[in-house]
Amino acid sequence: MTFPGCTWHVLLKTALLIGVALPIAAAEAQTTETPPMPPPPPANVDLKPEEAYTQKMLPPQPQWAYVRGGGGGGGVRIFDGATGKMRGEVDTSQRGDMAIDPASKYYYVADTIWTKSDRGTRQDFVAVYDTTELKLQVEIPIPGRIIIGGEKHNFILSDDGKTAYVYNYSPASSVNVVDLVKRKFVRAIELPGCASLMPNPVGFSALCSDGTMATIDTTGTKPVTTHGPHFFPATGDPIFSNFTYDKTKKQVTFVSYTGLVYQATMGATPTVAQPFSIQQAAGVRPGETTPLDVNWLPGGRGLMALHAPSGQLYVLMHKGEYWSQNEPGQEIWVLDLASHKVVKRHPLKAEISNIEVTQDAKPLLFINDKDGTTYVLDAQTMEEKRKIEKTGGGLILTADVGTPAMAAAATASTDGSGAN
Amino acid sequence: MNNKVDAIGESLLRRFAGATSRRSMISKLGAVMVAAPVFPLLPVSRANAQKPDRSVEAKTAFGRNAQTRDDTKCDYWRYCAIDGALCSCCGGGVSSCPAGAQPSPVSWVGTCINPDQGKAYLIAYRDCCGKPYCGQCGCDNTDRATQLYVPQLNNNVIWCFGTSSMEYHCSTAVLVGAAK
Repeated sequence: MTFPGCTWHVLLKTALLIGVALPIAAAEAQTTETPPMPPPPPANVDLKPEEAYTQKMLPPQPQWAYVRGGGGGGGVRIFDGATGKMRGEVDTSQRGDMAIDPASKYYYVADTIWTKSDRGTRQDFVAVYDTTELKLQVEIPIPGRIIIGGEKHNFILSDDGKTAYVYNYSPASSVNVVDLVKRKFVRAIELPGCASLMPNPVGFSALCSDGTMATIDTTGTKPVTTHGPHFFPATGDPIFSNFTYDKTKKQVTFVSYTGLVYQATMGATPTVAQPFSIQQAAGVRPGETTPLDVNWLPGGRGLMALHAPSGQLYVLMHKGEYWSQNEPGQEIWVLDLASHKVVKRHPLKAEISNIEVTQDAKPLLFINDKDGTTYVLDAQTMEEKRKIEKTGGGLILTADVGTPAMAAAATASTDGSGAN
Repeated sequence: MNNKVDAIGESLLRRFAGATSRRSMISKLGAVMVAAPVFPLLPVSRANAQKPDRSVEAKTAFGRNAQTRDDTKCDYWRYCAIDGALCSCCGGGVSSCPAGAQPSPVSWVGTCINPDQGKAYLIAYRDCCGKPYCGQCGCDNTDRATQLYVPQLNNNVIWCFGTSSMEYHCSTAVLVGAAK
C-alpha cells in the first residue's frame, strides 16, 4: 500500500532501527509523531482529486497516554504527551477494560455488549486489536465479566503477555482465564470474597474481604488457591484497589485510605512488608480514621502511579476527613519507595482524579479531572507542559515501553509484525 | 445483635422471595450478601454496642451535615454511601424506580444515621436498570464504602443483576431496617 506524499515507511523503519541499535537512546529518540500529512499544494497549481484512505499508526510509544472516557462514554483515546495531539482511539464500550500487550503488538479489550444495544443477548469477550491498524483480529468469547468503571485490576495480563485474567462478578466472584496465544478461553476459577487482580509468576493473586491476599497457582492441571495471613483491615482501613505493579521487581505497592503504604513481593507465597505512613514519610502526622480529624489523605480514582525504573510513586493527596477516599487530589506527593521519603509535594490547580506516568527516562505525568481535561507535566520538575481538553475523564494507562529492555522488545516484535 | 442481623436477613429473604419468583439463586445470594455486612458496618464498637456514640465527634462529615427534608439533594441522610444519579430526580422516588426501569434484586448497602432521631438505619442502594443513564442529581457519597474485594460495600459496581438489562439508570435508597 502506498500513501501519496507520505514518508510513513521511512519514519517507522528509522524509528525501529534506532530502537534496535540504541535501545537506551530509543526511549527518548523514538518519534511519537504519526505520519505527516502531505504538504498543501502551491496556490497556482490545480488541485487534484484525492482518494480517501485509512492511516496506520505507530505501535505504543513511551510518551503516549491512553485515556478512558469515564462516565462520558466509550473509547480509549490515545494522546501523545510530546505534542498533545490525539493519535487514535481503541474501540471499547463505556465500561470496557483495555490492556496493552507487553510486546506492543496488540491492544486487548475485555468488554460486554448486547445484541440490541442495551438489551437482547449479552455477549462478553476479549477483543484483540493490532496496534498499528487498530483492526479487530478476533473476539474471544468468555462467560462473563464485571461491569464497573474506574478499576485498573479487573483485566490484567501475565508478565509474558500470554495469559489474560478477567474478573467476573455475577454476583458470584470468579476469574476467567484466557490463553492469548491460542486465543481461547481456558477456564473459570471461582474466587469467593476476593477481587482486584495482580500478576504472579505462578498465576495471579487478589485482595480479599478478610484482609488477606489470595494466590491462585495455575501451573498445575487444576488451579490451587491459597490465602496468606491477614495483613490489612478490609473495612476498617481498606487498601485502594487501583494499586501499582512493578513487573521487574514483581512488586505490588498498595496505599490504604489512611495513607499506609504496603509493599508485596509476588511469588508462590507472596510476602508483605510492614506498612509505613505516607504522611510520616513527608513529615506530617499519620492519617487517622477518627471523624473530625482533618489531614492529608490519599484519594481519587486512579490515584497512584509508579515510575518503575526510579521507584518513585506519585500519589494524589487531598485534605479531608476519613471516608473522603474518592475526593480528587489537591497535591501530588512523590514518594521514593527505596528511602520511604516523600521527596516532593506539588500543589494542583485543578481537582484531579486520575494520574499516570510514562516509563521512559524523562517521564511525563498525565493527570485529568472530571471534566475530561488532561494536563501533561514533567514528572521530575512538575512543570506543566500542556493542557489537553476533551480527552475523557476516566482512568489513564501508559505503555511499559519506556525502559530500554521494553523498548527493544517492542520494536523487535513490531518489526516482525510486518507493519508497513 | 445477631438476632437483629438474622431478622434483617430473614426479612430481606422474604421480600426477595415475594418479589422475585424466578430468580431464586441470584436473589438468595443477593439477600445473603445484603444481610452479611450489617455487623461490621455498624458505626459503633462491639464493646459499646448498647450505647452507640451519636455525638457530633463520632459522626462522619456526611453525618454531621445530613438533612431529612429534601431527597433530591446529595446530603439527604439516606444517601450516605450512594453513587450515581438519584432516582428521586429522574421521575422515581427515594425507594422507587422511574417508570419503565427495573429495580435490581440485589444491591450494595450503607448504614446511615437519621439526624432527627440519631438512629442508624441499614439502607439498600437498589439500582434501577434497563434504561440509559438518567444524568440528573449525580452524587458520590462514600461513608464506610470500601473497595471491590468487599463488593457489597462498593458503590461503583453496576448493581443490575437479575434484571433484563444491565444498563444503569439511577439509584434508590431503600430503608431496610434499624441498624441498631
